[in-house]
Amino acid sequence: MSTAIPDRSRARRRRVRRAAAFAGMLTTVAGVVGLRATVTPRPHDALASSGLVTEAGPNVATTPSPTPAPVATGGTAQGKKVIVGEAYDVSYGVVQVKVTMTGPRITDISTLSLPQGGRSGDISQFAEPQLRSEALAAQSAHIDSVSGASYTSAGYAMSLQSALDRSGS
Amino acid sequence: MAGNDEKGGVTMTVAPERHVTAPTRVAEPSAGHVGVRLALVAGAIAIVVMWWIDPSPMHGAGAAVTAAGRLAGLLGAYLVLVQLLLMARIAWFEHAVGFDRLTAWHRGLGTNTVLLLVAHVLLIVEGYSLTDHRAVVSTGWRVLSTYPSMLKATAGLLLFGLVAVTSGRAMRRRLSYEAWYAVHLTAYAAVSLAFMHQINAGQDFVGHPVNRALWWGLYLFVAIEVLRGRVFLPFRTWFRHRMLVERVVVESPGVVSVWVRGRRLHDLGAEAGQFLLWRFLAPGHVWSAHPYSLSAAPQDGRLRITVKDAGDHSAALAHLRPGTPVIAEGPFGHFTLGRSVGTRLLLVAGGSGIGPIRALAEELVRRGPRHHLDAVLVYRVGHERDLALRHELDLLAREAGLRVFYVVGHRSELGADPFSPAAIHQLVPDVRSRDVYVCGPAGMTHDVLRALRELRVPVRQLHSEDFEMA
Repeated sequence: MSTAIPDRSRARRRRVRRAAAFAGMLTTVAGVVGLRATVTPRPHDALASSGLVTEAGPNVATTPSPTPAPVATGGTAQGKKVIVGEAYDVSYGVVQVKVTMTGPRITDISTLSLPQGGRSGDISQFAEPQLRSEALAAQSAHIDSVSGASYTSAGYAMSLQSALDRSGS
Repeated sequence: MAGNDEKGGVTMTVAPERHVTAPTRVAEPSAGHVGVRLALVAGAIAIVVMWWIDPSPMHGAGAAVTAAGRLAGLLGAYLVLVQLLLMARIAWFEHAVGFDRLTAWHRGLGTNTVLLLVAHVLLIVEGYSLTDHRAVVSTGWRVLSTYPSMLKATAGLLLFGLVAVTSGRAMRRRLSYEAWYAVHLTAYAAVSLAFMHQINAGQDFVGHPVNRALWWGLYLFVAIEVLRGRVFLPFRTWFRHRMLVERVVVESPGVVSVWVRGRRLHDLGAEAGQFLLWRFLAPGHVWSAHPYSLSAAPQDGRLRITVKDAGDHSAALAHLRPGTPVIAEGPFGHFTLGRSVGTRLLLVAGGSGIGPIRALAEELVRRGPRHHLDAVLVYRVGHERDLALRHELDLLAREAGLRVFYVVGHRSELGADPFSPAAIHQLVPDVRSRDVYVCGPAGMTHDVLRALRELRVPVRQLHSEDFEMA
């Protein structure tokens, strides 16, 4: 009953409206992300003392940690010590490091536990070497967060700091 | 044009030509409308807040792109749930917005919802690959093959894509209603396939018990609403009313009426001008429900629909046997006499839009001789043989004083637009003081409403229903 022309122009208007709505959705997403990126403070170094770690509070009692408790193991010859840090629950898993010290120097850091599986596993995989070399270079737990691995970074720094605290005493 | 009787009578008419150019807005949003929209937007804002309060800092391109991907995914999942709710026959939505507009929203949102989900996948994979310093393809493969529930989620997205593609105008025309409906049903499977990857891999849910509980709650709420509206209510209607096909009448070539009887039908609360979703329990009909308007005012435990042969399903209605059980959902729609502002009416029907229009006319007559009947009915068809229910309209004209105009012929034959403002004004000079009910193909309805707006008929006096909606 109606002619084809108004139908076609209506269909075109509808398509334009929908495309505009989709563009609006994407713009909203981008805008909100941009806003949050500007509003959220950039994480400074010294993760162990940054506010982020309050999220990853120590949780040793409920944490299945590979070693029974954070203990300093006995030193060997030439003043070489292996110290196990505390285990931290970082929402996606548990972070716990083991520090090897030769005299006052940190000579090696390995992990006893990192978040595993899926995205968390991948994050652990790329973050761990970066965190390790940062800490070895800094000779302290004052290290930058690895982009995309803020929880793991914070847990790493916390665990490392706890180990260093013990070695000092 | 032909003259018309002052009181009652039937006229064939042809209107003079005039072109209309100014486009006019037709839809008018109500207060309830705004309420529903606000509620849906508030839900989206709640999702953004949930995403925002995740405390991980966002620095570096990888983290930002990943965060955008997460937000797109959360909003996409929310829109999917909104899509389900729009179609869940929720009483509040039906009253505030109306079934036809809910359907239009659902259709309008559908493609964009799926596109947002696609954007979610692309952004997440790109964000991960930036963060991990890996190639996009290998990141994508890694996510798909090693992250929890990702295969299921991918299957879900493919189903969503299929649902969207088969609902696009180009494909929809080529598919039968039944095939389209079957594909559309898989959307429920897609929703449940996608759910597990949200809970098991979503950064906002893993290690966030509160978010996780809220998300579960949201899905449970939607599931309950869908089950209630789409399963429980139709079954309850069946057990209460036990509707059966009583007889099938061919009204004109390609137009059939189906009479349905049942128990306690007045409890259904159906009014003239409303429609129900009909599912006939006969081979070829069981798997699909169709919206058809009542073509007779409900009475004596009987309902009637009048349907034009528009596709495989409606053609097959002619072969329904008496005694076939019927499951009906509804009634739906605001196209009722209760919505009219005054008592003087103009009823405009196009094609098989005559069904609800005739029901309204009958209801008007039945409201009694106390009222002075002042109603004009205009019935537009392409050919005289297409005039369905003509004897009933003639009867209403003869016995109750309804003024009926048949506008017959294609526009080229008429040599004029029968629904130009001038033509309508000439046919019904006092149109501005009347409530106007328009039911017909979308194009015609649009044209008539536009002409009425141009004639300055107040918007609240305009009532319309497109009958092509599913």
